[in-house]
Order: sequence, then C-alpha cells, then structure tokens
Amino acid sequence: MSHVFPTASRRKYQLIRNVVVIWLTAMIVAAFALRIPFINILEHTARNLYFHVPMWFTLMAAVFVSAYHSIRYLGSGDAIRDIRAAEAARVGVTFGVLGLLTGIFWSRFTWYQGTEIWWNWDPRQSMAAVELLIYGAYFILRDSIDDPEKRGKIAAVYNIFAASTVPFLLYVLPRQLQSLHPGAEGNPAFSEITDPVMRLVFYPAVIGFIGLFWVLYTQRTRLRLMEERVEDIRFEKETRGDTL
Amino acid sequence: MTRVAIPDLQDAAADTTVSTAYDSIWAQTTQAPVGLETVFLAEDKLYVVLVVVLIIWFGIIFFLYRTDRKIAQLERSLEQDIHETEGPA
Repeated sequence: MSHVFPTASRRKYQLIRNVVVIWLTAMIVAAFALRIPFINILEHTARNLYFHVPMWFTLMAAVFVSAYHSIRYLGSGDAIRDIRAAEAARVGVTFGVLGLLTGIFWSRFTWYQGTEIWWNWDPRQSMAAVELLIYGAYFILRDSIDDPEKRGKIAAVYNIFAASTVPFLLYVLPRQLQSLHPGAEGNPAFSEITDPVMRLVFYPAVIGFIGLFWVLYTQRTRLRLMEERVEDIRFEKETRGDTL
Repeated sequence: MTRVAIPDLQDAAADTTVSTAYDSIWAQTTQAPVGLETVFLAEDKLYVVLVVVLIIWFGIIFFLYRTDRKIAQLERSLEQDIHETEGPA
C-alpha cells in the first residue's frame, strides 16, 4: 500500500513505535533509579534534566524536519511536503510547550524558591515563549488561507523564516543576556556541577523523545494523507457523475 | 584517633565575620515553607520531578485526544458518503 500512502511502511512504523515505547519506559525507570549526587537548591530536581531538556532537543529536531519539507515543497509543489512540514511543526511545538511548562514549574521551586514567583521574564524563558508564538502564527497563517497552493507557498516561506529564528532565540541571544538558566557559560544542558553519570540517561532520553516525535508525526501524516485521499476520491466521483 | 571538631550551626549563624559559611546562615534564616512549597520542597524536591513527568504525560495524552478527534471526523464523513452512495435503506 506504500504507493497509495507515501509514508513509512506499516511494519516499520509499528516496529519503531514499539521500540520507542519500551525505550522511554526504561528511560523513565532509570531516571528515578540512578543515584545522583546531592546539589543544593537543585536536589532531586536535577533529574528534570532527563525530561525538560529533551523537550527542546525534540523541538529542534522537529523544526529541522519541518523546514526541510517546506524547502522541498517550494521546489516541488508536492502537497505531501506541505502536510509533512505542517505536522512536524505541530508535534514539535507541542514538545516546545511542554518544555516551557516544565521549565516554569522547575524554576518555581528552584530559582524562585521562597518568593512565590512563577514567571519573572527571565530572558531564556521569554525567548522560548516568543519562539512558540512565532510558530503559533504559522498555524494561524495556514488557517487563514483557503487556496491549497497559495497556502502551501506562503506557509512554506513563513516556516523557513520561523525556523531561521530558532538558533537565535533559543541559543545565541539567551547566552548574551543575564539569565538564571544554565548555558551562559556555553552549554545550557550541562554545567560543571552536572555529574557525568547523568549522561547515561540524558542521551537515551533525547533519542527516545525524538523517536516519540517521529511516531506522533507519522501518525498525523498518515491521517492527513487519508483525508486528502478521501477528498480526491470524492472529487473524482463528482466529475464522473457530471460526465455520465 | 582524635575527633575533628565540627563547628556548630548555631555558632556559625551567630558569627558575623566574613569567614562565616554562607549557606549555614542561609539555612538558619530560611523560613518554613508555606503553601505549595510545603509539598514540593519536601523529599528533596522529588515531587517537582513527578509533576514535570506528569506535565509531559498529559501533554502527550492531549495530543493523542486531538488526533482521535480528527479520526472520528474522518469516520463520520466517510459514513455519510457511504450512506449517500447506497441511498436510504
């Protein structure tokens, strides 16, 4: 059936999906089981490294996939590229929102402990919020254009612009500004107090969540292709009905 | 074996010289947690991690529900098509 629906074969999809589920389950167990050194203020929340940071890695991967398909769409005009770009961005932004929410909660009980502050316009958090708004505008833009070809083209151009802001808003600018977030020294995920043993769970977590992204993204792409196919069949039927 | 004298926290807090250990004074002056902090600062902040995991869990569930709704819409429209083709029974 792969010639009708140009996505990964069903068997390959199911295999990767099952591996991702087992992989992430093992990762969650390891995230709590692995002993880590006690650090003041952070305490057990150091374990959030395994959950909060991969959200942003996944967003980066999704944005990359999305921009790739937008570029291919501008070259080919193939509707599947537009679908793929939109769905990769949608799943990616979902991970971004989770990254922001988990970050807000984490900061409330570390940076802002004893102050009852939830949000203090920390540059890194603010930039992340702006980035998500830029992608929010991408979906509003898509919804506001009815003609599929026009929508595809304008959305693709905007999406490439949006992707090009990601390195600046998430990497370059926050490192230039005073922030409570680790990273001003160079690496936002690891600092000199991060125990090397944490990498054993962190890297598998990043791979696992990117795998989860792929599963959700493929799921949505399959659904969208099916919708398009139904539309096509309907259209064919109508035109045949007219000529008969 | 001689025991090394461990400075008393109370003494450290009372000592106002520059050499005073910073976090021992901090520990003395920190007020008892109130509100949400009574829950989330307990157990070395382990419950913060639990909430972070739950946020991600519910985020994924929310996404799956939205996909589910789209599948239901497609099913409904296909059912309608089949009805129209076959005509009323």
